[in-house]
Parts: sequence; structure tokens; C-alpha cells
Amino acid sequence: MTMKDMLRSYVLENYLFTDDPSALADADSFLDKGIIDSTGIMEIIAFLEVEFGIVVEDREMVPENLDSIASLVAFVERKRAAAES
Amino acid sequence: MAPTLLHGFLEQAFRQPQAPAFACGTGRVSYGDLSRQVRGVAEHLRANGLAPGSRVAMLLPNGPAYAAVLYGIWMAGGVAVPMDPSARTGSVRGRLRHAGATWVFAASPVIGIDAGVRVVTLGAPDTPTPWTAAQAPGDQSIPVRWGHTGRLPRSDALAVISYTSGTTGRPKGVMLSHANLASNARAIAAYLDLGPGERALATLPFHYAYGASVLNSHLAAGGCLVVGETLVYPERLLARIQRERVTGLPGVPSTFALLAPHLRDTSHDLRCLRYATQAGGPMAPELVRAVSRRLPWLRFFVMYGQTEATARLSYLPPHRFADKPGSAGVPVADTVLEVRDRAGGRLPAGRVGEIWARGPGIMRGYWRDPEASADVLRDGWLRTGDLGWMDAEGFLYLRGRRSQLIKVGAQRVSPEEVEEVLARLPYVAEAAVIGIADKVLGQVVGAVIVPRPGAAVEPREVQRHCLEHLARHKVPRYVRVAAALPRTASGKLRRHVLARGIEQAGPAVKSQQGRAL
Repeated sequence: MTMKDMLRSYVLENYLFTDDPSALADADSFLDKGIIDSTGIMEIIAFLEVEFGIVVEDREMVPENLDSIASLVAFVERKRAAAES
Repeated sequence: MAPTLLHGFLEQAFRQPQAPAFACGTGRVSYGDLSRQVRGVAEHLRANGLAPGSRVAMLLPNGPAYAAVLYGIWMAGGVAVPMDPSARTGSVRGRLRHAGATWVFAASPVIGIDAGVRVVTLGAPDTPTPWTAAQAPGDQSIPVRWGHTGRLPRSDALAVISYTSGTTGRPKGVMLSHANLASNARAIAAYLDLGPGERALATLPFHYAYGASVLNSHLAAGGCLVVGETLVYPERLLARIQRERVTGLPGVPSTFALLAPHLRDTSHDLRCLRYATQAGGPMAPELVRAVSRRLPWLRFFVMYGQTEATARLSYLPPHRFADKPGSAGVPVADTVLEVRDRAGGRLPAGRVGEIWARGPGIMRGYWRDPEASADVLRDGWLRTGDLGWMDAEGFLYLRGRRSQLIKVGAQRVSPEEVEEVLARLPYVAEAAVIGIADKVLGQVVGAVIVPRPGAAVEPREVQRHCLEHLARHKVPRYVRVAAALPRTASGKLRRHVLARGIEQAGPAVKSQQGRAL
């Protein structure tokens, strides 16, 4: 399973209560679609930290990093690349 | 006759038409612009035959359009019925019927409601003014003017019906007059020392009593509401506070629980913040201290109230927090609080009883429910249903509430509404919904389901069903299956037993990670 698939199935299962991938497009904004609330975002961060071994700093808790499947994937990839270099 | 909020607002618009009433995104809506929009709404309603006293429902998010529609309804002589814009069709329909609303102003198309209800979707081509819910450029063709008093509502007229519980069974619509709203907004503006130049961050929903009090007290004082921010991204919110030079931060306990970790080592300059207010459930004194340690210049007001009292009943002056931690403070202006026993007799200091309140903010009763009204309104007093005691100096301390409403962050959830939705599932024999303690949100929704014999219950399927019929914050975070529900000998549900069981067992469906304070 790719990172994107893992993230998508986590969000589908926990916030949309479905396994239908068509319910969420890569670029769909969690905020605009009302998918994630203020505790949901903390759960997603916990998921990223546990599953992908990254640490999310407070200042990184911004929509540019966290508000869609696409931005989550890009964020995790950036964090991993930074950790390796 | 005391002036209404509408009088006060129009006077501000006349005095300071250029001053900002709303900051949304990078845009501003001035008092002049907003007053033109208020007139636009009122003229649209009048031109289309709105009769005085008619109910007009609102399904709008926080923003200038909310204020334009609310004050516009008042200018047209109507009664506003604010509702949660995230509510699903079923609950909207139920409340519209109960209120007898003939109009709805909504931010997006409303479907599935009764024929005969006129829907105005803001931003659509047929709207009274060419603005959307998010932006309000203002129609410059309507001049700012001081209204003719003869056309404005009387202060004893009904202004708002605010629903506090379920959609079917027995909805409770709190009836508030213009005098109720004006007196409470002025009392709040007085103790917070609000004036022009004030800029409050308005994250609390305007359709609840607390959010409405923030809106109304600031417009009465000539202040500005900063909208469009959510608690989902605390860093962005702190950046906005700095950028907009926000002076006031109204919140519920979860607002401060979510922000506190981000106040540690923050790079944002937050010295613009003058005060914070907290209501909507008990907040641990330690959390107040944590916020105050990081923002030592901030005046932090712990407060108490309820919708039946318009919003505010008491507040703790910030300089008394040190010697009265945990207190909900002293009554707001012109209001009297007493602690009484079951027979209605006044109790001495130190004794726990029910809190009774009297004052200009007390509601006129519940809409179309004289029996429920008579139950809580006695000889000019409101029985709050909340328990508490007073110390020798008259400072109030709360000791639990009788209300079964679940408080999820700034939102309210009626257990009955969720139970009704659960009962529609074919495999559910019985369901009970309770509030489960949550360290960030205060409470979240939990459901205990007794399946029909031989039936299986899949928690995710239950949650999906709820999400189809309920706003997201009402969807149970915890779903448990039980063979029977705990009841008293008389058959009454023992909700606290259920809640304790779930809290001890921990999350079944979802893990939850909190951040340190």
C-alpha cells in the first residue's frame, strides 16, 4: 500500500466512515468539505507521527501541510527528505 | 422605552460609517456598508409581504451576512430563528415547522423543506443584495441614514427564537425580546469595557447564545468582529490575531485547551490581546492559569449563563480569579442570582441548591409551550436547572447541571436527537446517547446500542448512518453494544452509569491524542 493509499483509507474510515475511495479526491480540502474538526486534525498528526515516523512541529500545523490527501503526502515526503539529508 | 440593538447599531453606522464592523479574509465591511445591507434585507422582506412577528429562519455561518440578515429581519419587524448551518434536512424541517417559519436565509441551497417556505440563498442571482455569505462589498446606492423610529420594532416585541434541544418530541424554543437582547449586550459591553476600536475574534457560532452575545455586544459598542478563522489550525489563528490586532478572544474551554500548547514559545506577537472570555461549561482553573502565564497582560473573564437568560448571568472580575479560582463570579448588571432549595426557599451561603435568576435578560418563555415555560418561570424568576452555591461575598460556584445537553466544544448536542436517528436503524432495539468526558473538547458524543435479537452492530456503519442525518459534531465518536441499558427502578435511564463505563474502557473506535498544555 502506498503512503497515499494509507492516508486516504485512514481519512475515509475515520471521518467519512466508508471504504469507497471515490468519496474523497486527492485535492479535496478537509476544511471546506467539513471532514476534519479541531480534534480530527490532532488525530491525523498522531497518525502521521506513528505511521511515518515524523515529528510535526506546532508551526507546521497549517492547512498548506495538512488540509488534503495531496498536501499530506507532499508534507510527509518533505519531512522524510529533510530527515535523510 | 430602552433602545433596541437595531437602534444602537444604526446609531453606530450613522456616527462612524467608515469604521469596520467585520474583518473577513483581507476584506473589511464598514458600519456604513453593513447598514445598507441591513436595509436591503429589510426592504426585500417588506416588499415581499413579511408580516410583523413572522418567523424568519437563518442557516448562516459567522460573517457580515449573518449580521445583515439578523438586523434586517428586525428592521422588517420579523422574528429571527437562528439555526446551525451544518444541520441536516431532517432537523431543519422539524424546527422550521415548530417555529412556523415562512422564510429561510441560507448560505447554500436548502432542499427537502415544506412547500410554502421561501428560501433566500445568499449569493444566488435573486438575492436582495449582491453579496455572498463570505464577502460583502456593500451596495453604495443605499445611503446611510438614521432610521425613523416609528418603523423600528418596539423593545418589548419578540426578536429571536433560539432552539436549545431536540427536533422532535419537545423542541425548546427560547423566546427573547429586543429588550432582553439589548440589556444583556449592554451589560456585557459594560464589564468587558467594550468600545469602538475593539476587535473580537469571532470563532464561536453566532447561532448559539454565547456567539450571539459576542456579535451583539460588539456591534452595540461599535467594535469589529474578525471572522473566518477556525480552531482546526491554531497557528493560523494566532497569526490572524497578530495581523488583525485582535483585542478580544471569546472562547469555550476547548478553545483554550486547543490554543494553550501553541502559546508556549509562540513567535507571534499577541500583546494586542486585551481580554479573553470563557463560558460554555466548566473550565479547569489550571487551564486559566496556563493561558494567563503565557499571556500575563490578558484579562481573563470566567463567565456563566444560559440561553434562557439571553446569554450572560454572571462573570468573575479577572482581578478576583486569584482568590476565587473556580468561581463563576457575580451577577451581571441589574441581575439577581439566588441559590434555593427544592421548595423554592432561599439557601444561606455555602449550601448547594438550584440557581434562580431574575433580571432584564430572562426569556419570555418557550415558544408554543406554556407548560414548559411555567415549569421554569416563577414569579419573574428563572429556574436555571443548574446547581451551585454562593460564598459569603456572593460569588457563585457551580456544582453540576441538570441539563442533559452534551457540550462538544462550542456546539450543543441533544441526546434525544441522536437517539432518534439511531432508532431508525433496523437492527437497533434501543439506543442511549451520552456525553463522554474529553480532555480537549470537554465532551464528545457516545452511543450505547442494544441490538435486536440475533442482529450484529458494526460501529462504522452506525457512524456513517449518523453522518448522513446529523451534523458532524453530533456523530457518536464512541459506539458500544450492550445487552440492556441501565435503568432505575422507575425505568429512568441512568446515563451517568453508561458514561462512566465508556470512559473507563477508553476509546473503542478511534484513538485520541492530545497535546500537552
